[in-house]
Amino acid sequence: MDPVDKRELTILSEIGRIATSSARLEEKLQRIIDVVMRGMEKDGASVFLLDASGKNVTLVAAQGLNQESIGTLTFPLGAGIAGWVAQQKVPLALADPYSDPRFQYVPETGIERFRSLVAAPIMDEDRCLGVIFVLSQPAWTATGSEVTLLTTIANQISGVTKSTQLFQSIQDRLAELATIHEIGMALTSTLDLAQLLSLIAANTTQALHARGCTIRLVNLPEIQSLTGQSVDRFVSDAVRDLDANFGEILAARTVQERRPLLIEDIRNDASLAFIPDRPAGSLLSVPLIFHERVIGVITLYNPEDGSPFSEDDLQFLATIASGAAVAVENAAMYERMEYLANEAKARAQELSILYDVGTAMSATLNLDRLLRIILTAATMGGTGLGFNRAILLLTNERTNVLQGMMGVGPSSWEDASRAWTEVARKHKSLLEWIQTGELFEPRDTEINAIARTIRIPLEPASGVLAMTALEKRPFNIVDAASDPLVRPGLRDILKVDSFATVPLMAKSRAIGVILVDNMFTKRPITEHDIRFLTMFAQQAALAIDNAINHSNAETMNRDIRVMHEQLAQSEKMAALGVMMAEITHEIRNPLVSIGGFTRRLARKLTDPEAIRYIDIILGEVARLEGIIHDNLAYVKNVSPLFTRQRLNPLLDEMLAVFEEEMRQRGIRLEKSLADNLPDVEMDAQQMKQAAVNLVTNAMEAMERGGLLTVRTSLSAEKNEVVLEIGDTGPGVSSEAMHNLFNPYYTTKVKGTGLGLPITHRVIKSHKGTIVFRNKETGGALFIVRLPLPKEA
Amino acid sequence: MKKILVVDDEENICRLYREELEDMGYEVTTVCDGTSALDAMDKAVYDLVTLDMRMKGIDGIETLRRMKEKNANLPVIISSAYEEFKNDFGSWCSDAYIVKSADTTALRETIKKILG
Repeated sequence: MDPVDKRELTILSEIGRIATSSARLEEKLQRIIDVVMRGMEKDGASVFLLDASGKNVTLVAAQGLNQESIGTLTFPLGAGIAGWVAQQKVPLALADPYSDPRFQYVPETGIERFRSLVAAPIMDEDRCLGVIFVLSQPAWTATGSEVTLLTTIANQISGVTKSTQLFQSIQDRLAELATIHEIGMALTSTLDLAQLLSLIAANTTQALHARGCTIRLVNLPEIQSLTGQSVDRFVSDAVRDLDANFGEILAARTVQERRPLLIEDIRNDASLAFIPDRPAGSLLSVPLIFHERVIGVITLYNPEDGSPFSEDDLQFLATIASGAAVAVENAAMYERMEYLANEAKARAQELSILYDVGTAMSATLNLDRLLRIILTAATMGGTGLGFNRAILLLTNERTNVLQGMMGVGPSSWEDASRAWTEVARKHKSLLEWIQTGELFEPRDTEINAIARTIRIPLEPASGVLAMTALEKRPFNIVDAASDPLVRPGLRDILKVDSFATVPLMAKSRAIGVILVDNMFTKRPITEHDIRFLTMFAQQAALAIDNAINHSNAETMNRDIRVMHEQLAQSEKMAALGVMMAEITHEIRNPLVSIGGFTRRLARKLTDPEAIRYIDIILGEVARLEGIIHDNLAYVKNVSPLFTRQRLNPLLDEMLAVFEEEMRQRGIRLEKSLADNLPDVEMDAQQMKQAAVNLVTNAMEAMERGGLLTVRTSLSAEKNEVVLEIGDTGPGVSSEAMHNLFNPYYTTKVKGTGLGLPITHRVIKSHKGTIVFRNKETGGALFIVRLPLPKEA
Repeated sequence: MKKILVVDDEENICRLYREELEDMGYEVTTVCDGTSALDAMDKAVYDLVTLDMRMKGIDGIETLRRMKEKNANLPVIISSAYEEFKNDFGSWCSDAYIVKSADTTALRETIKKILG
């Protein structure tokens, strides 16, 4: 066997052994060239491999050269011997490389120790993976079989490299999968959105060896535009500026294009050309897509080693992003549900407060007690509304003034903490508190004193309290000192910077105002507080309105009682008057006799002295008659008595009396009385008399029977009640019509002729009118109009 | 000679009126209640009646009504100690309303005016 053949076999079997070991590629190559060097009885050997870009070859293993050059010595394709061989893909044996123009001397390598070399390309099919060198310190002119041997060895190395690289990539893929799995595990570990976003940012940053990460969420679920997106940053200082300058723009583009975006070099990227002064850096931007909806963007900045991100990195990030999107959506959903659940809980709590307060309020009609309940509810923590102090003011519509009625709240920190501790300790419900006792001493508190001093005109110039009632809306005063609505007087007595006011609205009237503050806890009054307080105030206002109406009704009852008493008094007076009338009557008759006969006597007497006496008697009689006249003038005002009442019942009652007579005389009655006629101011006796006269008149006109019509209605102008009484008699001649309302004029055989004049006079004394006309169908028609009371 | 019927339940008033009216030249008959007055009207024809209001038996208003029924054209002067009967519609068909007084001038002048 040829010594070369034997060497070859030894070397190749060694290489085969190394290839199947589990060592890393660099280590395998190192051991292979060691075998090759010794097998070929030379002093040095090295391997260059093509890098990922395919444009350079880099020293990855060396024997006899300075080990520092491994990983750093690089030639572009075509440059140096290694670059030339890699490009030309042919072996090259140089007995004296230093004189060859392709040779490039790199002193750090220690190549000058060698005189001669042989290089062979490591080929995979027609692709060059790298170059293997064998170096010799003595001058060496390689034989053809030696070059062939090295080419064969190179082929072997190709196999080793490929399989090792494959193995390596499988290993990497496995590691990636492990990372993805880990991240996936992490993502399902929390439902807290903020925590989740931090976790995603931290994991991706770590897995891709990035310097920073930004996650932007498109606002969920309504808004899909990027305006108003929220940002979660996990960014080191090193890339803060990058994010500030490019994060937003790239996120917007990612959302728009809905696909991952890789920018290898910000400085040279054409798509970013519109931004001036771009720094160096690399970016990955991947959309978080859930159910075809972009819910956010995850952006990674600058790998730690300064190299650009690769397509692999992008793919990896996209894989993580798809999992992350689901987790983010879940967390966001959970957050929304949690928010809704909390909202529901808060609403339930508020409803329970309103219910308690409503129950308590409905239990009393005493205004003072009611106001205390309302203010206690407003100031009670825990189950109440929880303001520190509350003042209630009511409007006085008559005087147009807003009057402070009551204030409730602690006077000092000590008082406050005592009360609140008690509330916390006793675990009583609001209702129990209200029913069983007072939280604060009711009367002599400072806030109550303050409340009762407030008395302001209901006009805009009076400031925020009046404005609350006038504009019927709440005010939240944050800085009393600078707010022009807060008058200095109010500021001085309240001694707080912030307070709120809400109107007490009952039946769309502002019946008062509630003012609340947090003097001791200094807790800001939120919009939500105001909303709830407004709701509470609405309920309170209705209860107050009720109580006030009730109290008004009581006052009215009192008034009615007084009126009754006055009436009784005037009845007594009337009785007294009647008695006096009787007495004066009894006195007047004898006086007439005394005076009358004395006068007669005077005519018969001639004695001047007797005449003088008689004059005295007559003078005294005249004086007594004068006294009686004056007395009776007073007494006679007792009648008639006007009262407000309905006309229809009076007519019904009156007509009932005539029923039998009408039947006997063959007169039919057609009665049509309007429903719901307003009351009329009248003397019932007189009015009945007037109506009787008209009906009698009509009946007498129909001697052979006929139809009597009685109608009532409201006038078109709604200011009069109209009574029409008609008959089907002969009507009235024009001569008789003239004298119709004249006393003593009668066309009737019997009767005084007084009926119609009396009726006329009654109607006139009621300020009404009576007219007569002959109906076209025959018969007479009287139309009486009675005015309605002015204020009705 | 014109005949006057005086109706009054006060005997002294009847006597006073009679003397005063007889002095004026009238023939005077006096009765002391409504029923007697209506009876008297059936027995004789009078030219004028003075009628008291408040009397025992049927009162002046009712008497007046019945008198007017008998003779609607008979002048009747109400002569009452009460002023308030002026408000009673029943009294309206009288020809005059005179409040009794010791001074009979108003009565005498009213009668003179009616009887001419």
